[in-house]
Amino acid sequence: MQRFNFPVVQPDPALEELRAELQAFLKEEREAGNFRPEPECWMASSDPEFSKKMGRRGWIGLTWSSQYGGHDKTALERYIVTEETLRAGAPVGAHWIADRQHAPMLIEHGTEEQKRDILPRIAAGECYFAIGLSEPGAGSDLANVKTKAGKVGGGWKINGQKIWSSGAHISHYMVAILRTSPADGRNRHVGLSQIMIDLSLPGVTIKPITDLSGDAHFNEVYFEDVIVPDDCLLGEEGGGWKQVTGELAMERSGPERFLSSYITLETALHQLQGKLGSDSHARLGKLIASLRTLRGMSWGIANLLHQGVSPETEAALVKDLGNRLENDLTLQVRALLNDLPEDEWSDEMRRILNIGILRSPPNTLRGGTTEVMRGITARQLGLR
Amino acid sequence: MINIEGMVAETAAKIFTDLCGREVPHQAEAGNYPQALWDALAENGLALAWVSEDNGGFGADYDEVFGAIWVAAEAASPVPFAETLVANWLLDRVGIEIPDGASSFALLDGKTASVSFASAADHVAVYNAGKSEIALYKTADISAGDMQALSPDGDVRLDFSGATPVASAATNLSRRAVEALILTVRAVQMASAIEAALNLSIAYVSDREQFGRPLSKFQAIQHQLAVAASESAAATMAATQAASALARNADDPEKAWHDAVVAKVQIGHSVEAVTVPFHQVHGAMGYTQEYDLHHYTRRLWAWRDTLGNEHHWSKTLGAELAVTSPDQIWKGVTTGAWIAS
Repeated sequence: MQRFNFPVVQPDPALEELRAELQAFLKEEREAGNFRPEPECWMASSDPEFSKKMGRRGWIGLTWSSQYGGHDKTALERYIVTEETLRAGAPVGAHWIADRQHAPMLIEHGTEEQKRDILPRIAAGECYFAIGLSEPGAGSDLANVKTKAGKVGGGWKINGQKIWSSGAHISHYMVAILRTSPADGRNRHVGLSQIMIDLSLPGVTIKPITDLSGDAHFNEVYFEDVIVPDDCLLGEEGGGWKQVTGELAMERSGPERFLSSYITLETALHQLQGKLGSDSHARLGKLIASLRTLRGMSWGIANLLHQGVSPETEAALVKDLGNRLENDLTLQVRALLNDLPEDEWSDEMRRILNIGILRSPPNTLRGGTTEVMRGITARQLGLR
Repeated sequence: MINIEGMVAETAAKIFTDLCGREVPHQAEAGNYPQALWDALAENGLALAWVSEDNGGFGADYDEVFGAIWVAAEAASPVPFAETLVANWLLDRVGIEIPDGASSFALLDGKTASVSFASAADHVAVYNAGKSEIALYKTADISAGDMQALSPDGDVRLDFSGATPVASAATNLSRRAVEALILTVRAVQMASAIEAALNLSIAYVSDREQFGRPLSKFQAIQHQLAVAASESAAATMAATQAASALARNADDPEKAWHDAVVAKVQIGHSVEAVTVPFHQVHGAMGYTQEYDLHHYTRRLWAWRDTLGNEHHWSKTLGAELAVTSPDQIWKGVTTGAWIAS
């Protein structure tokens, strides 16, 4: 009996038609100068105008019902859209998080009114969400969150601070994990709840954090007596921990966990075709073999999720392997480029390569650090 | 996942459970060849699983037989089961009568080729790339080099130059088709052996205590095995992907070549990434003949060299990709369509 469940799933011709449409659109947009490709585009490259174009094409909200502005398709169609946009390095950061995790959360836990109000706007590429998990004292130790939501007449009053919230400065909502009642002795997993916060409310202050490259795509978000209505509690009061771990499992196996830097390789290959020497052949062969294998694993999980199975450990394995691969990819491209005199490297190549290097540190941090992933795997192996 | 449900795999699983307990590979190495195990496999027709019905076999699907190969490698099979399957597949392709008993296989480019189980196998089926011919030799007729074998299977370099085959036939089977089959069989064996050795390692660190607690409670140990587990999962995916490509292209195995090479490269590189932590967490115990770990790790060290090592194959794959368009490479990565149709 095999320890891990990764089905091999063959490509579906209908999905390949969708892929071709995406490729044509992305090529046209790029050639028209409507975007400059970048690594880590799903996190660090946002363009609301581009998101609206994706929305008009029907490529956001694929998985939910047309009743709420969605497109009645499956997570597999969404997978094709996400991997093609990552490959192109397109500016998909604005809508990525809402489309990936908050819309499904609203579908499961939201009120009818919230669904009718918010989901069509997400699908149109007009409404964005930020994640509200980390706090200054709660990184890998997420259960240590201190931001509180207290019951007040007709709603919840929120006080505290979230940090590292990517895109909060352009987002309309945050879904935060908050302490709604005290921990039960040493069991800190009780008393946490997920609450949706309208970021335009009084008492919300968003301060950008500049990253080492000078970009400001993540933020500190402060809450001072922010009042949200009762129905902003998503799911069960006190059930936030379980909801969050389930959510993280879903987001750890997607193509953004191993294809974030693919644009760097793609750009290099356009320059290097027919010019690679034999040492480079070995590097390229190894890299592509790893990409093909990881894509198989990630696609296998997408199919399990599609069937309603949520494989937490498999997702952690993909994230660990995938993050290592996407950082290694950037390093391998540096080596491959030696087959071309430096004079001949395009400015575009240098720009993309350097962005890739500068954006590499968070790959193994966000969405759960490599150490946390290995802890999850070790638990499944029965070691802890 | 390699499918281990189905008649062929389940029959093999029962035989290996009954006749290949953990002492059997040790006894085999001490010179007590488990003839009863081989006889049971042969009596149940398993060695003929891939042979067409016209040639006295079962014409079983690739899928089902890969399950049996997984099971055999998991049991550290000391008999050349997978090797005989490959040999008989080759012979069947040209209609050479399948000999009784165990066989091994080789892909011959010049005079010599590496062959595993050269002493346990009565015959070797050889694909001669230069001559486009498949030939059957008696192992007793071929001289072996004097060398230290890596694995318990006694993989040695055989010199075919002076030997006369007992049968031979021209073939239009391409080199890539043969490579696809051999690399995929090895990939499945290796993925299975990696997982079996992972399981041994988990059991060992859970049992062995130092500093007053089981080794499994040390984070340094947990993380080494978590990384090995991720390599194990990737190896199984690569092997399954290759097996699946072969099953889809049963009429034209050459089309499965790229995914077979992907598996070879992926798993070949994984060997060091898993055997190092497996041995490390076992301490000196894993270095002894008495313990079971080497039945897997020595085979992994030998199998990664089949038809050339992972560096050779990374280069071979890369050389082809280096003159392939980026669009086609992406298509290969995402859909397995490596060549423009």
